[in-house]
Amino acid sequence: MGFINVAEYANADAAGQCWVTQFRKAVTSTATITSSYVDYSYFAGSPLANFYASTPLEAAYVDSTRGIYLPAVDQCLKNITVMTSAASATSTTNQRQKLMLCDYLMYYPFIDTDSTDQQDMIQTVTIPRYTSGYVMAIAQSASSTIGQFTFTYTNQDGVAGRTSPNIFTQIVAGGGQSVNANISANGFNPFLPLQAGDSSVRSIESVTFTAVGGGLMALVIVKPIQTFVVNAECRRTTSGNLESYGAAASVDSVIHRAAAPVIKSGAILGLLSKGMGGSLASSILVGYIETLWSV
Amino acid sequence: MGWTSQDDLINQITNNGKTDTVVFQKTLPAAGTAGAWTDLGNATGVPVAATFGAADLTFTSTDNTWSEGTLYTGGDVDPATKHFLNAGISCVAAAGAPWFIMAVDHIGYVKLSTTNVTTTGTKTVTMTAIGSSGAKVDRYANGEGLRMYMSALGALGANAPTCIVNYLDTGGAAGATTTFTSTASATNGSIINTGAAANKYNPFLPLAAGDTGVSDIVSVVWAGTAHASGTVILHLVKPLWTGPVPATGLYSKMDFCNAIPSFRQIKDGANIMFIMFQTGATTSGGTVFVDFDYGYGG
Repeated sequence: MGFINVAEYANADAAGQCWVTQFRKAVTSTATITSSYVDYSYFAGSPLANFYASTPLEAAYVDSTRGIYLPAVDQCLKNITVMTSAASATSTTNQRQKLMLCDYLMYYPFIDTDSTDQQDMIQTVTIPRYTSGYVMAIAQSASSTIGQFTFTYTNQDGVAGRTSPNIFTQIVAGGGQSVNANISANGFNPFLPLQAGDSSVRSIESVTFTAVGGGLMALVIVKPIQTFVVNAECRRTTSGNLESYGAAASVDSVIHRAAAPVIKSGAILGLLSKGMGGSLASSILVGYIETLWSV
Repeated sequence: MGWTSQDDLINQITNNGKTDTVVFQKTLPAAGTAGAWTDLGNATGVPVAATFGAADLTFTSTDNTWSEGTLYTGGDVDPATKHFLNAGISCVAAAGAPWFIMAVDHIGYVKLSTTNVTTTGTKTVTMTAIGSSGAKVDRYANGEGLRMYMSALGALGANAPTCIVNYLDTGGAAGATTTFTSTASATNGSIINTGAAANKYNPFLPLAAGDTGVSDIVSVVWAGTAHASGTVILHLVKPLWTGPVPATGLYSKMDFCNAIPSFRQIKDGANIMFIMFQTGATTSGGTVFVDFDYGYGG
C-alpha cells in the first residue's frame, strides 16, 4: 500500500491504482466564530451533511455516504487541492483557513451540555482502523453560555479511567462548530486536552458538566491525515472596477511533505477548518483529492 | 521513451523541435448546475462540437483521428513517448466560480437515446473488450485506469431514475458500478452522476471493490421512473490531470516538469478532452480556455 520510490509511485497511476474524487461543502448562514474551528462534514453538499444523528450517548460510526468518497482500499494521499468561495462579491471573511483532512473514526452524539449529571457513554462499537485518535467537541445545536466539563476515557494504551482537565466550552450560534475552548475560556483548539502523559483516546466513558453550556454536542474521535491552508477567498466584485480574487491551495504530498500519508480502507473523510478571517457563514469549500496505492 | 535527462529534454524541444502548444476553447451551450460537472465535448469551439454520432448501445472508440473533432497534439511518435510539459486554464463567466478543469483521454462512448432513455430496464451494450493489441483503442492495456461518467447530450427530460453500469474489469471479470441517481431535466453537457444530492459521485462512477479499470461496458440498467426524454452519453476515459480556476478571468498555470510523478504521458492515439466542475451555476455562454505544451524525445 505504501511506496518505496518514485517509480513505484508513478507506476501505480499507470496501473489504475489511483482515484480522484471531488467535494463541495456549503456552510450554513449561521455565523461562526473567528479563529475557532468548524466541522465541514456537518454542512450540506457533496458528500451529504453529517449531523451525528444517532442514538444519544451511544458510540457510532459516521455513515460512509457522509464521507468524501474513496475506493475501499488502503491508499496514499497524492494531492489535495481546495478553494473557498466567498459568501458574496465583497465578503472576505472566509479567507485564511487552516484546514485539516481527517478520518472520522467514531462519535458519541447528543451529550447534553445543560446537565450536570454524569453522562455515561454506551460502547456499542469500538474504534475502527486505528487504535486511538484525537477528540473534537462539535455542537449539535446553538449553545447559550460558556460551560465547563471533564470527560473520562480509555487512552491510547488501553488504560481506562483517565480524566481530562477541566474544559471550557464556548457560545456558538449553530451546529457544526467546535464548542471546545480548551482549558480556559475563549481559547481555540481543535482537540480536547487529555490527562498528562496521554496522547490520544480509544473510547470515551463519561462526560460531566460542572457549569452548564446550554446546548448539545457530540464528541468525535478523528485521525488527522493532512493539514494545509487556503489563503484567499474566491470572488468577483460587481461594482466599480471589476476585479477577480482567489487562490487555490494545493498540497502535493511527496513534493511538499516528503511522503504521502496513508488513508486506510473504509476511511470516512471530512475536513476541519479554523477560519481566521472571520465568519465562514454561507461560504463554500470545494476541492479534490487524488490518491494512489501500490499492489 | 521520453527523455534521458533534463539536458536531453532541453535539446529535444529547443534544437529538435519536438514540442508544440495546443489550444482548447469552448463556449458553454447551457447554464450549468451548481456543484456538478459538465462534459465540454458537445460545446462549440476548438475542437468543434462533438455530436457523438453512433448507433445506440454500441461502443464507439475515439482517438486522435476521431472525425467529430479532436485536438491535434502532433500525431503519434512511437517509439518516443509524448508528455505534458505544462498547462494553463481559465474560465470567463458571470457566475459559477470557482471551477476545476480536468483533462481526460477520451477512449470512447456509448450513446443511449429514445426508448433506451425513456424506459427502464437493462440496455445491453455491444463492445469489443479493450485488450493489449497495440491498437489505439487499447492504448491503456486491458482498460487499466479507465473510468466512466454519463452526460446529457442536449436537454434531458424530467424524472431522475437510478442507474447502474455493468462492466468487465481489467481481468475480464464482471463488475458493476455503485448505483447513482440521475439528474432530472439536466442541461446539455451536464454529467448526470455528479452533484450534491444523495447517490451522486464526482466525477466518476465508483467501481466494484478492488477494480482498477474497465475493459468492457456490458450494459446500462435504469430503474425507477425513466427520464421523459433525452439522450445520454456514457463516456470511458482516462483521467490525466486536474487544475483549479479560482475566479473568472484568472489563469492558472501548472508545471508538469517538476511534479511527482512528472511529465504526464500523452499516449499515441490520445483524444484529449476536458470536463469542468462548477461551484455555482455557470452562466450559459461562459467560456473555457485551456492551453498546454507537450514535448517528446527519442
